[in-house]
Amino acid sequence: MPYDATDTPEEVLLARYARGDALAARILSERLVPRALGFAARMLRDQAEAEDVTQEAMLRLWRMAPDWRSGEAQVGTWLYRVVANLCTDRLRRRKTVPIDTVPDPQDGAPGPVAGLIAGERAAALDAALADLPERQRQAVVLRHLEGLSNPEIAAVMDVGVEAVESLTARGKRALTARLAGRRADLGYEDEPG
Amino acid sequence: MKMNRDDDHTHDDDAALAMFLAAGRAARPDPSADLMARIVADALAEMPAPRPLSRPAPAAPPRRGVRARIAALTGGWGNLGGLVAATLVGVWIGFAAPGPLAALSAGVLGEVLGTAQTSAESVDLVNLLPDFDDFLTEG
Repeated sequence: MPYDATDTPEEVLLARYARGDALAARILSERLVPRALGFAARMLRDQAEAEDVTQEAMLRLWRMAPDWRSGEAQVGTWLYRVVANLCTDRLRRRKTVPIDTVPDPQDGAPGPVAGLIAGERAAALDAALADLPERQRQAVVLRHLEGLSNPEIAAVMDVGVEAVESLTARGKRALTARLAGRRADLGYEDEPG
Repeated sequence: MKMNRDDDHTHDDDAALAMFLAAGRAARPDPSADLMARIVADALAEMPAPRPLSRPAPAAPPRRGVRARIAALTGGWGNLGGLVAATLVGVWIGFAAPGPLAALSAGVLGEVLGTAQTSAESVDLVNLLPDFDDFLTEG
């Protein structure tokens, strides 16, 4: 391998891709696609649509690679922004779909069983996230699930850092309220805080 | 006094939400092999043609030979060609001494020397530039 796949910055990999380095494209895909797909899946709650959005966002990255201006933006932040915009477009088109069609958490179905699988907890979180206003959901997902810093989220969402702090705070409060009824079901009451 | 909206937010709430979020992070979907293949295929289809990492150093200028230097002194091969052609014409005139040229030479030289010929070989010379003396004549 001509360079270290783990340490090479994404901007350098993108520049290498723009010079015709296929290996750089593969490494970038392995790094960026899981992040883009995770974000899109949280926003859309539809795996097929999330995959389409991820592929489209990556395609835009490939196409703009030769014109990438070094130092102006981080590749990951840029990609999150494209994914966010594509998700917003799809969510707007979905506006005609009644909110009732979004699957709700199945109240009490598993029961207060200590051995609930983590997937159900994640599903409860996803359901609660789906109820949040879109901007709050974006901010919470980027901050607490994708691990971006507030300045990075501000760049993705094209708002100020204070706005990001406000969105995440309100989003967390709303999530807490929505998940309050699920805590006992999912065994959190017995776990140490 | 403004109420802090987080006042009703308990430590337990934060801890419970943190655990939900941890479960959410752990449950991030992995991209399928098919999706990765499609994305890499897009990348390869859109990839610019390979080119070297850095621009190669410019090649050293080739050493010029003697002929090239001579050509350069005379202003290039074109000028040198003209010079050679003029030289050859001069040599040819010197050796061949064509008749009309001899008559012209005789005419010019005869007029200059005051021995104009009257033979058939002589030529009529017309002075298209009047002598300066004409302008000095009064009236």
